[in-house]
Amino acid sequence: MEPIRKEEIDDQACGSLAPKSKPCPRPKPGEAAGGCSFDGAQITLLPIMDAAHLVHGPVACAGNSWESRGSLSSGPSLSQYGFATDLSNNDIIFGGEKKLKDSIDYIAGRFAPPAIFVYATCVTALIGEDMDAVCKEASDRLGIPVVPVNSPGFVGSKNLGNRLAGDALLQYVIGTGEPELEASMGVNLIGEYNIAGEMWDIEKLMNQAGITLLSRITGDARYKEITWAHRAKANMVVCSRALLGLAKQMESKYGIPYFEGSFYGAKETTYSLRQMAYLLNDREMERRVDRLTEREENRLSHDLRPYRKILKGKKAVLYTGGVKSWSVISALKELGIQVVGVGTNKSSDEDVQRIADRVSDDTEYIPEGGASRIIKTVRERKADIMIAGGRNMYVAMKEQIPFVDINQERHKAYAGYEGLLRLAKELVDSIANPIWKLASSPAPWDKEDSYDR
Amino acid sequence: MTVKKRSKPVSVNPLKIGQSLGGILAMQGCYRAMPVVHGSQGCSAFPKALLTRHFREPIAVQTSALQEMDVIFDANRNLEEALNAVLSKHRPDIIGIIGTELSDVAGVDYQSMLKSYKRERNMRGGLAFSVTLPDFRGSLESGFSVTVEAMVDELIQQAGLRGQRNVNSRQITLLPGSYLTPGDVMELKEIVSSFGFEVIALPDISTSLSGHLLTGFSPLTRGGVPLDSMLQSLQSGLTIAFGASMERPARRLHNALGTPYKVFQGTMGLKASDELLNFLHQISGVPVPIRYCWQRENLLDCMLDAHFQFAGVSAVAALEPDHLRSVSEWLDELGVEQKALITSYETPAVAEMERDVWVGDLDDAEVLGSGADLWIGSSHGIAGAERIGAAFLAAGFPIWNELGSYMNVSVGYRGAMEWTNKAGNLLMRREAEHRESSVRHR
Ligand code: SF4
Repeated sequence: MEPIRKEEIDDQACGSLAPKSKPCPRPKPGEAAGGCSFDGAQITLLPIMDAAHLVHGPVACAGNSWESRGSLSSGPSLSQYGFATDLSNNDIIFGGEKKLKDSIDYIAGRFAPPAIFVYATCVTALIGEDMDAVCKEASDRLGIPVVPVNSPGFVGSKNLGNRLAGDALLQYVIGTGEPELEASMGVNLIGEYNIAGEMWDIEKLMNQAGITLLSRITGDARYKEITWAHRAKANMVVCSRALLGLAKQMESKYGIPYFEGSFYGAKETTYSLRQMAYLLNDREMERRVDRLTEREENRLSHDLRPYRKILKGKKAVLYTGGVKSWSVISALKELGIQVVGVGTNKSSDEDVQRIADRVSDDTEYIPEGGASRIIKTVRERKADIMIAGGRNMYVAMKEQIPFVDINQERHKAYAGYEGLLRLAKELVDSIANPIWKLASSPAPWDKEDSYDR
Repeated sequence: MTVKKRSKPVSVNPLKIGQSLGGILAMQGCYRAMPVVHGSQGCSAFPKALLTRHFREPIAVQTSALQEMDVIFDANRNLEEALNAVLSKHRPDIIGIIGTELSDVAGVDYQSMLKSYKRERNMRGGLAFSVTLPDFRGSLESGFSVTVEAMVDELIQQAGLRGQRNVNSRQITLLPGSYLTPGDVMELKEIVSSFGFEVIALPDISTSLSGHLLTGFSPLTRGGVPLDSMLQSLQSGLTIAFGASMERPARRLHNALGTPYKVFQGTMGLKASDELLNFLHQISGVPVPIRYCWQRENLLDCMLDAHFQFAGVSAVAALEPDHLRSVSEWLDELGVEQKALITSYETPAVAEMERDVWVGDLDDAEVLGSGADLWIGSSHGIAGAERIGAAFLAAGFPIWNELGSYMNVSVGYRGAMEWTNKAGNLLMRREAEHRESSVRHR
C-alpha cells in the first residue's frame, strides 16, 4: 500500500484543513479507549449498501466487527455480509496478494456487486501488501470498481479513518459517474449514516420542501449515486468534523459550496433546511422551506408539551464522540434540559467553540475518556441522566444512572422534528422508569426497622 | 468421522472470532483483573464492544495502543507505558498481557520484557503473565484455553516459591470451557458442590458476568475468582475440565502437582449429565441428591412430550469446536437429523466425532444446511437462517438478539430440558406459521 505520509497525518488528522485545529492526540497506552482507523473507515463506507466490503487481513478485524452498526438499509443487504481474506500464518509469511485477488474474483463472480471496497488492516499494511495494485488490476480485469481503502488500524484514531475513507471516495468514486436525470437542484448529505433510519426522516423533510437529495454519503446509499456526487449544487456536512475534508476538497475541485449542519433539534433542522434552499439559490424553494418548517415547528411544540413539563430543569451529562457534541446540546436545550457536563475528547477547536456557544459557563468539559471520569461528573453535578454511546451504557447501569444511547448501535432515530419528539419520549421513559426506585431500595429483610417484634 | 473444508478463497460471514477475544473473556472470570491487549487500539476496542454487547456488562480491558511507528521501532515501550498506567491507576491483582497478530508479526518479545519488568518493579503478590494469541490461527476457544493454561502456569510458579502442597481431597477445581455461559458455570458449581465438595472455578465468569447488582463501576473486573482462591485451588484433590479444550490446563496441574483430572467433553443432554452425576456419586460416595433425580425424570418426560416435535426435523449448527460437539450429542438424543455441523477451526475433539464436521463460515452453514428446519448458532446467523427458512436458536457467541442469554443453562438435566423446550417451541411456532401461510395462499 501507499505509505501514509507523516506530516499529512499531523496536519489533517482531524479531517480539517484549518491549521488552528489541534491534531488528534496520540492514544495513551493503558488509558486508551475507542476504535482504530480501520473501524472509522468502515463506519463511513459500510452504509453503501449494495457494495461488497472485503477486509484484507487475519480474521479478527472483520470477525469482531461485522454486523455491529445500526445503519439501516431500504433494500440491498450485501454490505451486511462480512467478507474477510482470513489470512493464515502462511499467507503472512508468503504474502496474501494472491488470496486477495482470488477473493475479489470470487465475490465479483458470485455476488455481482456494483463495486468492492477492500480494507487494509494492520497486518497487511505491515507486511507491505500492494493492495492498490491488486485492486487496480482486478478492477481492470473485472470491469467493476475495486476501491482500496488504506486505513489500517494503527495509523490512528477512528476519526482519521473516517477521513481516509473520504479520501478513498474522492480519489476513486466521486466524479466517475453521471446522474440519470438532470439534477440541477441536488444536495449531497455527507456524514449521515442512517443510524436507526435517521436518513429516512431527513429525506422525507427534504422531499416535502422540494429539495432533491442527490447523493447520500453514505447512509442507505447505493454505490452509483456516490459516483455522481460531483454534480450537486451544494453539500451539507452532517457529521461535524470527520468528513469536512471531503466537503472542502469537493469545493475546491468541483466548486460545490458546503455548510456544516445538524438535524438534532428543531432549530438546527430548520436552519439546515433553510441553508440548503439558500445555497440552491431558489426563492420559491426558500418560501416553501419556511412554510414547512413553521408548520412542523408548531406541531412539534404542541406535541412536546407534556414531555417538556417533565424534562424542564433536568440535568444531563452528554458524552459522545465529537460528531454530535454540540448539535445534541441544541436539541436538549429545546427540551428544557440543562447540559451540565459534555465530552470534548474528540472535538476540534471549532467544535469546542460551538459547544461553548450553547452551554452555560459552569458546564464541565470532560476532555478525556474513561468511564470513571464521566460518572464523577454525573455525581458531582447531580445529573439526572447520562447520554452517551453503547460503550458506556452498562457502566451507567452499574451506577444506576438513567441512560439514553446516542451512538452507532441505538435503535431509535432522533433526527428532525419527529426525531426530537422521539428523543423527548425516550428521555422521559428513561428518567421516569420504576426501576430506579426498585433498584435503590433494599430487600425487606435488610430494612432495619422492618418487623420489630 | 472427517473434517472437511469447502474450497473458497474468502471467508464469507465469519464464524471464527479472534483468539484475543477468548483471552479477554477468560480474564473476566478473575477478580480485580485487567487484560492488556498488546496491539493497536482497535484490537481491544472491537472485542470490548462485542463482549459488552453479548454480556450486557462493562468489560475490563486495556491496550498498549500501538501506532504504526511503535510497531516498527519499539512496541514494548508502549507496553511498559500501559503497564505503568494500569498498575498505578487501578492496582489490579491480576494482569494478563495478550499478544496479538500485530505484536507477533512485528516479532516483539514481550515475555522476557514482562519478566524483567516484574523483577524491576518488584511486583509482589500480584499475578502477571503473558500469552500469544494471534488471530491467524485458532479461535475464541483456543484463546480462552491458552489463557487459562498460562494463568495456571503462573499460579504454579508463584506457589512454588511459597512451599508445601497440602492436598484437600474435598476440594475440586473446575475448568469450565469458553462456551459455557455464566449460568452454566453457576449450575456446574452447584451440581459439584451438592456432593459435598468445595468448588473453585477457574476462571469463574458466573460471579462476574452474570449480571450481579454490585453498585459502582470499576475499570477492573468486578467479581470472578479472587487471587487467593486461585492459589488455594492448587491444593485441590481433583480437577474437572468441561470441554476438550480445557484438558491442557488440567494436564498442567497434573504434571506440576500430580492432581488427577477428569475431562467431560460433552456437557449437554441426558447421557452427558448422567455421566457427570454418576462420576460425582462414585468419587464422593454420596447418593445423587433428590432434586437431580427429579430433574432427570423431568427431562425424560420433557423429551417424551417433545419427540413429536422433533421427529423428522433437521438442524444445522455453527459453533466453536467443543460447543459443537456438545450440541451434536444433544441433537443425537432428540433424534434430530444433523444436516451440517460447522466449526471455526479444527481440533482433535471434533476430528474424532462420529459425524462429518466442516471447518468454515456461516455462508457454508447456509449452503450445507439448506433445507434445515433449525439453525443453531450466534446472532450472526439470524440473516442466514432466515434465508434458508430455518427456525433460529441463539447459541454461542455473540448473542445480541435476546435478553439474558448469558444466563441460559445448557448443562445438567435442567439445561437439557431448557434447550429441548426452547428448540421445540421454535419449531412449533414455525410450523404454525407455515400452516397459516399455506391456508392463506390457497
Ligand atoms: S487495530 Fe489493526 S489489527 Fe486491530 S482491529 Fe484495527 S485494523 Fe485490525
